Amino acid sequence: MAFQQRTKFTRRDFLKLGGSLATASLLAACQPNAETPVPTSPVSSSGDVSLPEPSISLPPVPLAVLALGRMSFGIRPGDIEAFNALGGNDDERLRAYVQQQLNPDSIDDSDFESRYNAAGFQALHKSHEQLYSEHIANNAYDPNDDAYWEWYSLPTYELVDATLLRAVHSKKQLAEMLADFWHNHFNIFFWQDDGVPLLVSYNRDVLRKHMLGNFRQMLEAVATHPSMLYYLNQNNSSDAGPNENFARELFELHTLGAENYLGVRDPNTVEKDANGVSVGYVDNDVYEAARCLTGWRIDDDLGEWEDGIEKTGNFIFYKPWHDRFNKLVLGKYIPADQPDMQDGKDVLDLLAYHPGTARHIARKLCRRFISDLPSDSVVAAAAATFTEFRDAPDQLKRVMETILLSDEFKQSWGQKIKRPFEACISIMRALNSDFTRIPGGVAWMLSLMGQPLFERRSPDGYPDVKEAWANSMSLLYRWNFAVGIAENWLNDDDTGLKIQTDVYNQTPPEIRTAEALADFWINRILGRPLSDADRNAVIAVMAQEYGTQESLPDDHVGYVLPAMIEVILMSPDFQWK
Amino acid sequence: MPVPKISRRQFLQGCSAAIASMAGARLTNLAFAKQDNPSDTLVVVFLRGGWDALNVVPPLQGDDRGFYEKARPDIKISDLLTLNDQFGLHPALAPLHELYQAGKMGVVHAVGLDHDTRSHFDAQEYIELGTPGSKNTTSGWITRHLQETGVSSILPVVSTAGQPTSLLNFVPTVNVNSPSDFSQWGNDLLASQQTALRQMYQGESLLHRAGARTLDALNIVSPLVNQEYQPSNGAFYNDDELGQQLKTIARMIKLEAGLRVAAVDFGGWDTHEYETDGNGGYIGDLLGQLASGLSNFYLDLDSGYTDRLSVVVISEFGRRLVQNESYGTDHGHGSVMLALGGNVNGGQVYGKWPGLNNDQLYDHADLAVTTDYRQILSELLSTRLGNSNIESVFPGFSGNYDPLGLFR
Repeated sequence: MAFQQRTKFTRRDFLKLGGSLATASLLAACQPNAETPVPTSPVSSSGDVSLPEPSISLPPVPLAVLALGRMSFGIRPGDIEAFNALGGNDDERLRAYVQQQLNPDSIDDSDFESRYNAAGFQALHKSHEQLYSEHIANNAYDPNDDAYWEWYSLPTYELVDATLLRAVHSKKQLAEMLADFWHNHFNIFFWQDDGVPLLVSYNRDVLRKHMLGNFRQMLEAVATHPSMLYYLNQNNSSDAGPNENFARELFELHTLGAENYLGVRDPNTVEKDANGVSVGYVDNDVYEAARCLTGWRIDDDLGEWEDGIEKTGNFIFYKPWHDRFNKLVLGKYIPADQPDMQDGKDVLDLLAYHPGTARHIARKLCRRFISDLPSDSVVAAAAATFTEFRDAPDQLKRVMETILLSDEFKQSWGQKIKRPFEACISIMRALNSDFTRIPGGVAWMLSLMGQPLFERRSPDGYPDVKEAWANSMSLLYRWNFAVGIAENWLNDDDTGLKIQTDVYNQTPPEIRTAEALADFWINRILGRPLSDADRNAVIAVMAQEYGTQESLPDDHVGYVLPAMIEVILMSPDFQWK
Repeated sequence: MPVPKISRRQFLQGCSAAIASMAGARLTNLAFAKQDNPSDTLVVVFLRGGWDALNVVPPLQGDDRGFYEKARPDIKISDLLTLNDQFGLHPALAPLHELYQAGKMGVVHAVGLDHDTRSHFDAQEYIELGTPGSKNTTSGWITRHLQETGVSSILPVVSTAGQPTSLLNFVPTVNVNSPSDFSQWGNDLLASQQTALRQMYQGESLLHRAGARTLDALNIVSPLVNQEYQPSNGAFYNDDELGQQLKTIARMIKLEAGLRVAAVDFGGWDTHEYETDGNGGYIGDLLGQLASGLSNFYLDLDSGYTDRLSVVVISEFGRRLVQNESYGTDHGHGSVMLALGGNVNGGQVYGKWPGLNNDQLYDHADLAVTTDYRQILSELLSTRLGNSNIESVFPGFSGNYDPLGLFR
């Protein structure tokens, strides 16, 4: 095969387009690029880790604020009242809320559904085969024409819009948080060279399908989805030339994690556990696993001269490319000439059932839902559930239950800050912003904050510790986003897409002093009071030249109210979770 | 190779004095005065993904050229620009070759980590933390350097690269992609909003400090927003990621607001497939962007600033000698670093060449590492950045310090 036979487009073809597709590389530079180090040693105690940040203690918040702050994309008006109506005490309410959110099919989501139906998405209902056939293999436009690339990227742009719509308007908030978590865990860069439209089926048929299900099944669904096979070069991996990229990230990111990487070492020197499985992995395991996975590829046009290739865009096990000989992975012997796919499935079994994987996944989930530095005890509890229910169809739901009902969950306010995606969504939720199809400015601002949706270039996903996000650009654009929403500056005149926010009409007309307006909106947005000094700062913005207890004229309220609300949304208190 | 161990206690002790000296760095005086900058401005360009050093600076002739061509029949680079009788430069780097010939750029070959890893993330972290083998270090190498020397300027560090690990826990970092992006939205109530924000972002948490720093930086950068920038000497910045980042940094340097360090990221070097097309193709395009960006940056600043400028270009590792079946290269080990500046002893290739014969390769696969990347950075610290306490920046390394003579 020579270069010239390669018919696929590359990322550079996108970049040439400019215009409507120029967001491809837009400001990827402001993404935090290196994963910020986090303590990963499975044996360290949380006391071993001290960040230079002085330990700050925030006043405790009502459980409703904490639970909604962590399990949802932010508090909407009415959410706290609904949470509090779920039981007679905090524990009852939390249990009921967790049960409700872990069973999303039971939630009435009609408001979201009517918006979704009105949004006019053209491609999100399409099957994987349809996406491949209609948007890749049989794109009717001329590749030199922008329309070709617009059609090619349409499904994924729709996925971005639908994800923003869901995050703001769906009541299945925990499901949305989990979809975000698992995309980042099994990260795929939106603008990878090939198969961009297939991200729709990856999101729907792999991540969302399994995120409350079984990890082993999810892992195989990931490992056999064309989006991942393209992204990590597995599609080119054959016995004649294994490509280790997918196999390496499978170990390092998807399952065992770097915490269990023992480096370039003789595999015979690695300690074994009671089942004869290596306690960690070395480079040789990666190479052997890559051999096991040879022939896991896409039925595409890569080698159209080959037998058995139909160009369906589906996963196939392509036997002519499979390395048939015996292998040794994590100390386990994998015999030659096993049935189709068995070598790869053996690798996935070894990895999915490894105690190191249980700890790694548990720690990442605890980091997402509890604290940047979760204690070893809660990680161990979640890992124990992961292992005990490793074959259960609802394994991951049970792991979430363990985490969300742990004491540590209730006792750890303010040890995280919202990532930009959460910050933006929570602003729109707090102000009850109204839209069906979101204007493009929202996604653009997420880029400026360093977290454009599905655009993390490297396979590690966006960082999940505050060090990565407590920076000027990220913070400044949260502030600007609050202004953009409250002042209705993000409407798009070219496309007619609107996001409408009317804070004036959400304010009871009898509330007219600066103090009362501040208190109403502080409570409405934060669900708790601010410190006196910060409250006074908010009041001062509202009052301007008036007295703080003076009744303000309507035109003053109309003009200044958004500015006051923006300040509450810009406050440190709005960023904690 | 043994990895020097440092205890957390040692580490924190080393940092504490510096942290105390930084307590006064929270500036409220935003006068636009020329700041006293005792040392060079350091610009670190990090090439994310592991650039293919052997296609950037390939062997020119002899046995090693033979090994190279045999290992890379489809992706070898020819028509090299001569560096010396042993090595050439990828032709897409022609603008940098001019700087090399003018003595403003030096090349270090077979440089990298003294630690075994082929993981991007491990290697980047080790390099940027400055503690190969230990990922639990709580600050980046640049952070410790600035803590050691103290920071007193308004705008000490600009990153166009988010918050890279080399600056981990250095809160005064200002992230600016372009001056026009770095402005706060608002109407005529903005000043009163900023007063409220000043109140709210008093505090010692990471978040509070980042907010206060953002407000400070806005005061400095916002006057630039509506100014048209005219680069000096006819320099021209391409409208690509790297060009725009370097243009922003040039503007910040010319502000003379005491810029000490700028961090730039340039990604896309993970060339597992279809790496080249003759001397062009994917990596040729990337190198072309790199050369255009850096050479124009240098030209722009060659207007009175290059004597106080040091640029280093680094990547987490090089790549395998042998091409893979996808016409790309997999993760390797030894790499190439570049240094540019008015006080670089340029026009030379530094480092001990390990050779490309199979038994000379690391793990029988990759270019070996003969120069620890910390040698170059340590020399830079002590020669150009006014910091002779190498141990404070690279704990456990100072005993191995053996400068190459790359900087004057």
